[in-house]
Amino acid sequence: MLSAMNAPNPLGTGRGPVLWLVAVAWLALAGCGDPASREDDRVYRHSLDGVPTSLDPAEAATIYSSFVVLNLYDTLYRYAYLARPYEIVPNLADGLPEVSNDGLTWTFRIRPGARFVDDPAFPEGRGRPVTMHDLAYSLKRHFDPAVRSQGSWLWAGRIAGLDEWGANGADYDAPVEGLRVVDDRTLEIRLVEPYPQLLYTLATAFSSLVPREAVEHYGREFGVRPVGSGPFVLETFHGALTRMRRNPHFERPPLDLEAEGYDPALHARYDLEALDGRRYPFVDALEIHFSQENAARWSSFRAGQVDYVMVPNEQIDAVLSSRDPIEVRDEILRDHHAHAGIEAGFVYAGFDMSDPRFGHHPDPERDAANRALRCAIRDAYDWQERNETFYYGIGEIFPGVIPPVVPEFDPDLPDASVRRDLAAGRARLARYGWTAETLPELTYGLVAGVQQRQMWTQFRSRLVELGFPPDRLDVDNFAAFGDFNRAMKNRQLDLFFLGWSLDYPDAQNTLQLFYGPFETPGSNNFNYRNPAFDSLYERTRAMQPGPERTALYRQMNKMVIDDCVAISGLSRTRVHLWDRDVRMLPDREILGGHFLRFVDVERGGGD
Amino acid sequence: MEGFRFVLRRVAAGIPLVLGVTLVSFVLIVHFGPDPTWNLLGKNPTAEEIAQLRSQMGLDRPFWVRYAEYLRELATLEFGFSESTGERVGTLLGRTVPVTLALLAPGFVLGNLLGVALGLLAAWHRGRWIDKAIMGFSVVGMSISFLVVIIAFQWLFGVWLGWFPVRGWAVHDLGSYLAHVTVPTLASVFVALGYNTRFFRAVFVDEIGHDHVRTARAYGAPPLVIMRDNVLRNTLIPIVTRILFSIPLIVVSGSLLIESYFGIPGVGKVTFDAITTGDQPVLKAVVGLTAVLFVVIQVLADILYRAVDPRVALE
Repeated sequence: MLSAMNAPNPLGTGRGPVLWLVAVAWLALAGCGDPASREDDRVYRHSLDGVPTSLDPAEAATIYSSFVVLNLYDTLYRYAYLARPYEIVPNLADGLPEVSNDGLTWTFRIRPGARFVDDPAFPEGRGRPVTMHDLAYSLKRHFDPAVRSQGSWLWAGRIAGLDEWGANGADYDAPVEGLRVVDDRTLEIRLVEPYPQLLYTLATAFSSLVPREAVEHYGREFGVRPVGSGPFVLETFHGALTRMRRNPHFERPPLDLEAEGYDPALHARYDLEALDGRRYPFVDALEIHFSQENAARWSSFRAGQVDYVMVPNEQIDAVLSSRDPIEVRDEILRDHHAHAGIEAGFVYAGFDMSDPRFGHHPDPERDAANRALRCAIRDAYDWQERNETFYYGIGEIFPGVIPPVVPEFDPDLPDASVRRDLAAGRARLARYGWTAETLPELTYGLVAGVQQRQMWTQFRSRLVELGFPPDRLDVDNFAAFGDFNRAMKNRQLDLFFLGWSLDYPDAQNTLQLFYGPFETPGSNNFNYRNPAFDSLYERTRAMQPGPERTALYRQMNKMVIDDCVAISGLSRTRVHLWDRDVRMLPDREILGGHFLRFVDVERGGGD
Repeated sequence: MEGFRFVLRRVAAGIPLVLGVTLVSFVLIVHFGPDPTWNLLGKNPTAEEIAQLRSQMGLDRPFWVRYAEYLRELATLEFGFSESTGERVGTLLGRTVPVTLALLAPGFVLGNLLGVALGLLAAWHRGRWIDKAIMGFSVVGMSISFLVVIIAFQWLFGVWLGWFPVRGWAVHDLGSYLAHVTVPTLASVFVALGYNTRFFRAVFVDEIGHDHVRTARAYGAPPLVIMRDNVLRNTLIPIVTRILFSIPLIVVSGSLLIESYFGIPGVGKVTFDAITTGDQPVLKAVVGLTAVLFVVIQVLADILYRAVDPRVALE
């Protein structure tokens, strides 16, 4: 930098504006630019369509945060790289836990050798070994009122004494009955009731192990000064880019492709065999470029500035030669790998069932009429049209609220609830005496945006076809999702459209959205109250995965369908493209990001 | 001494402006801006957790208490921490403002220099084909959406020609700076030039119609001398006014699209994100400091008026 400053003016003039330009440039160069790669670096450059805010694991509630946090910090478990359906495997944990016969006591051990990265937060700036005290501390943080945890719901009411510890002042030196550190490598978790999803929660970014020293050293700024023990160390982080370098202290057994679910029939085309038996992470540096603008992200990929892109909707036809089955054009495949898969989540519409005009009603007769109204609206809804208009016809429409990606999905469920049948809808209304005069006024909420408005226009036109007078259909625009969310939680919206990304691959994650006690401001935005549903939900809470639980899940799914609580659903298909120089299989589902440690890059395709 | 007293008087006169701007903007932020609470909650919050979070952020305190706190923050330049990232607001602005300045300075300088030059040329040739061509170009620049220009330039220079990076800010020396700043500069000049040229041309045309210019022509002075000494010099006050007062707007709002599309970590993007998420500490800092910047520029403009026109007195 000094040499650049002392160099003769490269523009060859002494005029004021040019000097000013150089001076301002110098100002920016003084530490404001993103770090550059060394020439021999193996750098993988990923792109994402959103931006993380905080890198504090307690606030890692989005896919974008998870992508960074999971690579800076360690979690006890992760998902196998290639196995589908998703399969949980140890990460920092030394094997699977020992579980007591009553399912209440889980004993976890961690591998030896893990250590936090060097950081000024530690004495003499040297990172120290990771211990189970760190996991206990990290779980406690979620229940500290001073920490703005967005993940406490995963363990609320589950671990003995943890909620009370938070309510009683969150003294970190005070013990918690359900978190007993047996020794540096062993933690015993005592549950209030069996919690079959506990392992999944310990694979989320929320469960990352953070060192107390760093949290106390950086205070509020811990969210931008991460100190972890994951495969990478942060170099830079801002709203457009995160750059991480390989953590030299990160040690794991070599990659075992077979254990990761490698299937030659599915994966051989991605050249992954060369990674087998090697220690990861394979790249020297990892960059994640955050670009919310589709055009800019796509141009960046086409120009070779990033190695990966999730194909934006408007480019689907330029990339695919066939939508059904999905086939990528040959000219694209010459330079790129491609993979298409459905999301671990879905989009759906819902009713606020607490509104007696169309929701729950104490009078059984009116309750039945309200149900008929909701079902008629669902009958009128055209999922195919939505799929064609907004998802290029490659989304997967399914009935109910158990999406195709989870093992409990029922492929044989009748699809009447997602098939448009306007005549049936009109007949329902007529049967229960609904007329243009008696139909209620409905308010639909949306976050301001062209596509959201188009979706509403499409929905509205179907409701008008059903018989709704146009002046009974209102829309509330919200500038930001937070405002929309507030209105929904305050029961100000009659109808809403939402997307749900799974936190773990278990249908319980979506069924909890209909559990009565979780009504707003909780996660049950529908304010659905069905004692039979709640009873089944409570029964399945403690059940291990298996045919019996699956049957109950499906029964609950059917209740939601029969009660016409939601208009659901569609899982979007993602098409991923990446450079042929990169060996990987990308995956952004289940708050993903773990796969980035297994990415390798061979620029020029040679050795 | 007289000048110093003048500056003090102008600064004092600017205080009501700062108070007015901060009060109006604070009313907008508090009553019409997004509620940050709902972006920071988990998936299954209880009413108690919501109340607790609102209390932590001070959202449950009376309006005037919060406004007084805002003024104290503005006076001490200590705005606390971003509600979104947790980063200290001072650090955040210290990191992003220089980037925005470095990003926009070339376009700002070039846009104004070229605007003045083309405005002079068009005004001198008023009504002839040169004037029509320049005005036609200006209208084109003004008519095309900035967004379209950005996307087209990214494709043209980044993907098709491959001369410059499509996005990013890997700036480490003058070469890399020029590589990253060129396309954003071209895009902003392309759009700004139309507005600048039309404004400057109108000012020059008005000045050319004055007696002193006609007299200079009658004396046979060369066109360049007339334009420089008789026209440009006498129109410096509106030029200085326009240029100076566009600085705060350019720094805060003008960079939003460029920073978003080119992936540049500047203050425009930070401000936009703060608006959409209701990150009040960041918003308060940006709005308050912009108001202060306006006052500073007002004082600066008055001093410059005196420098460019000795008839102006600092009273």
